[in-house]
Amino acid sequence: MIEFSSVDFEHPNGVMALRGINLQIRTGEVTAIVGENGAGKTTLVKHTNGLLKPTHGKVSVFGVDTRKESVAHLSKRIGVIFQNPDHQLFSDSVENEIKFALTNFGFQEDVIANRLNWALNFFDLEKYRSTSPMLLSGGEKKRLCIASVLAWDPDVTILDEPTVGQDFVQKERLMNMIQMLVSQGKTVVIVSHDIEFIWPLQPRVVVMAGGKILADGRAEDIFRNEEILRKARLIKPQLLDLADGLRVKPAGAFPNVYDAKRWLIHRLKSE
Amino acid sequence: MQWIAQGFIFRHTASPYHQLDPRVKLLIAVELFTLALLVGSLLEVAVALSGVFVIAGVSKILRRMSRTLTYTLIFAGMIFGINLLVGYPLIDSMVIAVRFIAIVGSTSVFFLTTPPDELELVMKWFRLPRDLIFAFVTAVRFVPVLMMDALQIMDAQKSRGLELQKGNIFSRFRRFIPILIPLIVDAVIRSGELAEAMESRAYGAVKNPTSIYVLCVKRRDTFATVLSITLMVPAIYLFLSVI
Repeated sequence: MIEFSSVDFEHPNGVMALRGINLQIRTGEVTAIVGENGAGKTTLVKHTNGLLKPTHGKVSVFGVDTRKESVAHLSKRIGVIFQNPDHQLFSDSVENEIKFALTNFGFQEDVIANRLNWALNFFDLEKYRSTSPMLLSGGEKKRLCIASVLAWDPDVTILDEPTVGQDFVQKERLMNMIQMLVSQGKTVVIVSHDIEFIWPLQPRVVVMAGGKILADGRAEDIFRNEEILRKARLIKPQLLDLADGLRVKPAGAFPNVYDAKRWLIHRLKSE
Repeated sequence: MQWIAQGFIFRHTASPYHQLDPRVKLLIAVELFTLALLVGSLLEVAVALSGVFVIAGVSKILRRMSRTLTYTLIFAGMIFGINLLVGYPLIDSMVIAVRFIAIVGSTSVFFLTTPPDELELVMKWFRLPRDLIFAFVTAVRFVPVLMMDALQIMDAQKSRGLELQKGNIFSRFRRFIPILIPLIVDAVIRSGELAEAMESRAYGAVKNPTSIYVLCVKRRDTFATVLSITLMVPAIYLFLSVI
């Protein structure tokens, strides 16, 4: 469990990025952190693995105060996948890129081999095993970044703007991967502007603005609240907007956007 | 690290020094640089250094300059230590080390008070080749960008278990490879994209492109020039006569 208690964070240039954050992210939960640019979303997630330490207040991860632990130690349980793949790929092959973190964390050779094979197969990267990561396409690079983090099987996966620059197929793959993590009981945190991507997952939504938490609740409640959406400069998901426009209320979580669409079409036909 | 990186980002500050013509700021920087080069005693080095800090104070950049001078202080410490080790007297070693700070400080004052646009105008005024000006100004603009990129890369690699502070100096150097490679690759990609973007916006289409801004000397520039020459030239002459 990740717990933020009255967390303030001031950047070295004097800008207050977080103000009085109180937040609990529970095990097995899918949480989406949304908000406009500069709302403090990335700053918030960088506190979870100790990359940033709070100026005031406390962040505890599985009971450990992040100020008292190294980033490497915290990262073993908290896997952060950053937005720009070009900011982390450096190895001469896809295989070595995935192995990088596994060797840093000191896994045994047989475990490394198993995890490597799982990651290459699951993310459809086996055919690029010996290829330089620099030669991959944008979507493949993103997949490699995610594979290199999920390879060490962290308890919490944090995805910072995962859909930026991704086409429809890649987004679908991402969605499937998140659903797989959820089915394994893992905690997933998504930082994104992409409401259409978040909506089908029906996560808990934390809305941020000006370094503060503006709202925290179920996706359906948050995305229906016009005032919160306006303050956070967000727009309602198209499907919800359409459903509301037709006075139809979606029931429960949809496994994906297509099921939601099919459900809506079915309701429309039946009415 | 981020604290230092912020120091390299140019910020407009409401100070009389920032409003001066960039050629005047360059003249003052050259005078301070020359003064710092010529110092030979503790008193002289104190004069040169105080000149740098007085101008930094007037320009309201003292805090930012302290960030950019962080690494300079480390190098100055190394210079001091090496000079002592090779047998220079304590005072001479101190003078050499502090002179280094004064030299770097004099150039810092110029770059922290002159935006890249004004730098470009000064270089144009010197009739330097356009491509050279563009390359130089772009390099200046990219310093803070690359530093911020480096910080992001460090965050990404630390999140994958890389420990930069562990081990001896050689293993620490080796641990910087995962930082340096993405940084260089990213810089190369970015420069390629920049070149394409510039060509797409007609860079090099005409031999003598027009300029939006034109440098013009105002009364305050004349006053600053006269004041700096009145103060600095006798000081430089005095320092030279001692040598």
